[in-house]
Amino acid sequence: MEPELRDYVGELLDSGTVAGVLALKDELGAVKPYLFTKNNEIGDLVLTSKYPLASVMSMLQKEDPSIKLAIVCRGCDERALIELAKRNQINLDNIVFVGIPCDEEMADKCNCLQPYPKEIVTGEKLSNWVPKNNYEDFKNMSTEEKLIFWKGQLEKCNKCYGCRNACPLCFCSDCELENALWVKHGRLPPEFPIYHVIRAFHLAGKCVGCGECENACPVGIPLMTLNHLLREDIKDLFGYMTGQDIEDENPINTKEEY
Amino acid sequence: MKYDNILTTCPYCGCGCKYYIQVINGVAKGVMPCKEDPVSEGKLCIKGWNVVDFVYSEGRLTKPLIKENGKFREASWDEAYNLIVSKFKKIKEQHGPQAFGLLSSAKTTNEENYLMQKFARSIIVTNNVDHCARLCHASTVAGLAAAFGSGAMTNSIPEFEDADCFLITGSNTTEQHPLIGSRILRAKERGAKIILVDPRLIQLAKFADIHLRQKPGTDVAWLNGLMYVIIKDGLVDEEFVKNRTENYEKLKKEVMNYPPEKVEEITGVPKEDIISAAHIFGNAKTASIIYSMGITQHTTGVDNVKSCANLAMITGNMGKACTGVNPLRGQNNVQGACDLGALPNVFPGYQAVANGEFREKFEKAWKMDDKIPENVGLTVVEMTNEAHAGNIKCLYIMGENPMVSDPDINHVKESLESLDFLVVQDIFLTETAELADVVLPGTSFLEKDGTFTGTDRRVQRVRKAIEPLGESKPDWLIISELASRMGSSAFEYNSPKEIQDEIASLTPLYGGISYERLDDLGYLQWPCLDKDHKGTVFLHKGKFTRGLGCFFPITYKPPAELPDKEYPFTLTTGRILFHFHTGTMTRCVPKLDKEVPTGYVEIHPVDADRLGIKDGEIIKVSTRRGTINIPAYITRKVPEKIVFIPFHFKECAANILTNPALDPIAKIPELKVCACKVESIGE
Repeated sequence: MEPELRDYVGELLDSGTVAGVLALKDELGAVKPYLFTKNNEIGDLVLTSKYPLASVMSMLQKEDPSIKLAIVCRGCDERALIELAKRNQINLDNIVFVGIPCDEEMADKCNCLQPYPKEIVTGEKLSNWVPKNNYEDFKNMSTEEKLIFWKGQLEKCNKCYGCRNACPLCFCSDCELENALWVKHGRLPPEFPIYHVIRAFHLAGKCVGCGECENACPVGIPLMTLNHLLREDIKDLFGYMTGQDIEDENPINTKEEY
Repeated sequence: MKYDNILTTCPYCGCGCKYYIQVINGVAKGVMPCKEDPVSEGKLCIKGWNVVDFVYSEGRLTKPLIKENGKFREASWDEAYNLIVSKFKKIKEQHGPQAFGLLSSAKTTNEENYLMQKFARSIIVTNNVDHCARLCHASTVAGLAAAFGSGAMTNSIPEFEDADCFLITGSNTTEQHPLIGSRILRAKERGAKIILVDPRLIQLAKFADIHLRQKPGTDVAWLNGLMYVIIKDGLVDEEFVKNRTENYEKLKKEVMNYPPEKVEEITGVPKEDIISAAHIFGNAKTASIIYSMGITQHTTGVDNVKSCANLAMITGNMGKACTGVNPLRGQNNVQGACDLGALPNVFPGYQAVANGEFREKFEKAWKMDDKIPENVGLTVVEMTNEAHAGNIKCLYIMGENPMVSDPDINHVKESLESLDFLVVQDIFLTETAELADVVLPGTSFLEKDGTFTGTDRRVQRVRKAIEPLGESKPDWLIISELASRMGSSAFEYNSPKEIQDEIASLTPLYGGISYERLDDLGYLQWPCLDKDHKGTVFLHKGKFTRGLGCFFPITYKPPAELPDKEYPFTLTTGRILFHFHTGTMTRCVPKLDKEVPTGYVEIHPVDADRLGIKDGEIIKVSTRRGTINIPAYITRKVPEKIVFIPFHFKECAANILTNPALDPIAKIPELKVCACKVESIGE
C-alpha cells in the first residue's frame, strides 16, 4: 500500500496540484504528522499509527487560508473534515483527499463504525464491517450501577483536558469546560459529573468516532463509551450520522436566519 | 509553508515524557503527544499540553541587563561579559576562589550542568557548586548511596504497570508525576494493592487499599513499625537478607523497639492499620516503594530514606523488576544535574572530589594549571548562610530562584543583598534575578539541543524546535563564551553533541551515551558503560552497587520544630498539579493561571470554625521566621491542626514561613514540617 501511495502523492506534488501533503512520517523510531513539500522526502511517508490530522489541517489553513494541500486520510479524518467544514472551520475546496482504508486490526482497536473514507486511492475497504463492541454490557447496567461505574472512572481524572485537546471537533476558542460557572477551577478530580458530561454533550452530533480522546486520556476513562451512546441517540432521534456528506444538515447545529 | 513536529523531552517534572512540538514556519504552535514514547504513551498532563505558552510569554528576557543605580538597563553581550569577567577576576584576586558560589540548574540540560560545574572547578577553582536537588532529594542521594551504593531510583517507570503492591509515601503522585500516577491507577485496576502513607487526603487516597495518615515528620517510626510486624509475623525474605545484605541483626534490634502500640502513639496511625499495611506489603510478590519530598525534606531526611531502603531489603524487594526503592525526582533534569556533578562533593558520575585520582583526571582533561581543591564545597543553604556572614562575595546562579524556592526567604534576601556581585542567568526576570548586578538571558528547552535525564535514569534528547528569542543564547553557549573570555581554551564547543562526547569520555556511568545512539534507541538508562551497553532498566540485580546491601538501624527523632502554645499548628508545604515550583514557567500560562491564580492555605473545617475563618477569607499564617497573608481553603484534605500551603506563589510565599533547619548529612532543609500560627484578620 505504501509504495503505491507514495507514487500517488509524489505526483500531486510534482504536478503542482498541491503545495504540500499532510501525512505521517517515520523519524527517530516514531511516527509523526508532517507536511511533505518535496518529492524526495516521500520515502519516509508511512501509513501506520494514527494522529488527529484533521485538526492539523485546520491549523494549517488558519495559517494560510489560500494554500492548497492534500491530506492522506482515514475514514475518521475525512468525517472530521466534513463536520469541521459544516461549522466553517475548514475550506474543503482547498483540500485534496487522499483516502486510505484501515485494516481490521486498526478498525478493531478503535471499534470503528466506518473504517474507510468515501474514496480510497490504495488498498481495500473492509466491506460489510460491523464493529464488535456495541456496549451491551454497559447498556444492561442499572442506573445505580452506571452511577457507581462512572463515579469510579471519573474520579481518576487528572484534568489534563487531553480529551478536548486531542479532539478534532473541539475547536471553540472559549471552552465551557474552563468556565467556572460550570466547573470549579483548580480542583482535582474535577467535579463529578459535570466536567465530563459537558464535553460529552458538546460532542453530540459532532463526534466522528476517531477515538483520539480515549487515546489521550492518561487514566483510561472509557470516553468512547459515552460518545458512542450519544452517537446512537443522535442517529435514533434524528437519523443523523456524522461526517457522511457536507450537504447533510446537522440537527444539533442551530442557525439564525436573517 | 513548513510544518513539522520536533520530538523533545518535557521540561516540567521528572517523568520524562517525550512529545512533539508542532512548528509552523519556525514558530512553535502547540504540543502533539507522541504515541510511541514509552513513558507518556501519547498521554500528557495539563502542564505538558500547554508548554509552548511559557516559552513565548511576555516576560521572557531577550537582552542582557546590567544594573546601574539600582535600575536595570539593556546591554550588549560584550558589555555584560566584560563586566562579569572584570568583576570575577577582581573578586578572585581579592578574596580567593572560595569566595564564589555557583548554582547550577535542574531545569537546564546535562551538557549545561556539566559545563557549570566545569566552570566552577576549572575557571573559578572551587567546589562551591550545587543546585536545587539540595532542597529535594539530597537525602535520597546520600541515603540510598549508603544503603545500596547508588543514590538513584532503582527501577523504571514502565515496571509500575506490573507491580503487585505499592507503598506510596510523601508523593502526591497523580498531581506531581501525573504520568506515573496514571500507571499506578492502571495497576490498581489490574488488582495491585496500594498502601498510601500521607497526612493529606490526596487524590490517590480514593484508590488506596489502606491509607495511613501519619503526623508529619514521624516517618521513621511507622517505617520501623512496619518492619516490626514483618519480622514478628515471619514475612522477612530470609534468603535475600542472608545472601545479599549485611547488618541485619543490628537493624532487627532497633526495629523491635517499635511495636504498633508505640508507633500509634508517635505517628497517630491506628496500630491495626500498621499491622494490616505490613501484612499487605510483606505478602506481596513484588512490592515497589515510591516516595518523594514527604520523605526527603526533613531534618531526618537521610534517616527516612535509609528506612525505606531497610523495608525494601528485608522483604527482598530489590534487584528485580517491579520492586525497589523509587524516589520520584521532581524536575525534568534534577537527576541529570546530580549525575553531571553539579554537587559540591562529586565530579560527573559521582566521582568524589576527595579522590586524588579523579581530581587529576579532570585537571588534565580540562587543561588546568591550577589544582582542584580536595575539600568538599558548600551546599545551597550553606552558600546563603556564608553570603550572609560575608564569606561568599559572589554568586553565579543559572536557572534557579532561591528567592521563592529556599526556606526562610527573608534570610535569603538579606544574603543575596550582601553580595559584592550577583550574576543570574535565566529566561525570566525572577525574584532572584531582580537582585542581580548582571542578568544574562538564557533560552528555554525549545531553543536548544541537549539531553535531560528523567527520574528513572532515562537519558533522552532535547531537540531545538525554534530559534532563540531575541538576543537570548542557549546556556551552554553562554557558559562557554564566558569561560573563553576568562582565558580558558577548554570550552570551545560547536554544539552540545561535542559536550556530550566529552562527558562520555570522563563519566563511566554515561560512557555509552551519544546523540547517535539516543536517536536510534530513543533513550538510554544509566549505568550505560560503553557503546555496546544497552543501559540498565533496574539497578542492583544479583549484586548491589556497593556489594552487599547495608541495613542501617534508625532511631526515631522528632522534627526540629514542633507545635507549641504559641504556634499550635503544623505547617507542611508542597506542589500542586497546575503549577510548577516557583511559578515562573506556569503562572504566565493562561490555562494554568486560570485554574489556580494564587496560593491558598488548606485548613480543616473544625479548625476554621474554631478560629472563625470562612472559606476564601484572607488569613494570617505566621511562624518564627515570618508572616504571610493568604486565602483560606477549608477542606478535609488536611487533618485537624495541620495546614498545607503550596509554595509556588511569591505573593503568599510558603517559604517565608519554612524552617531552614538542615539534615546533618544531606543538608536538606525541613520544608515539610514547622510550627505555625493561624489567625483570622477579619478580611
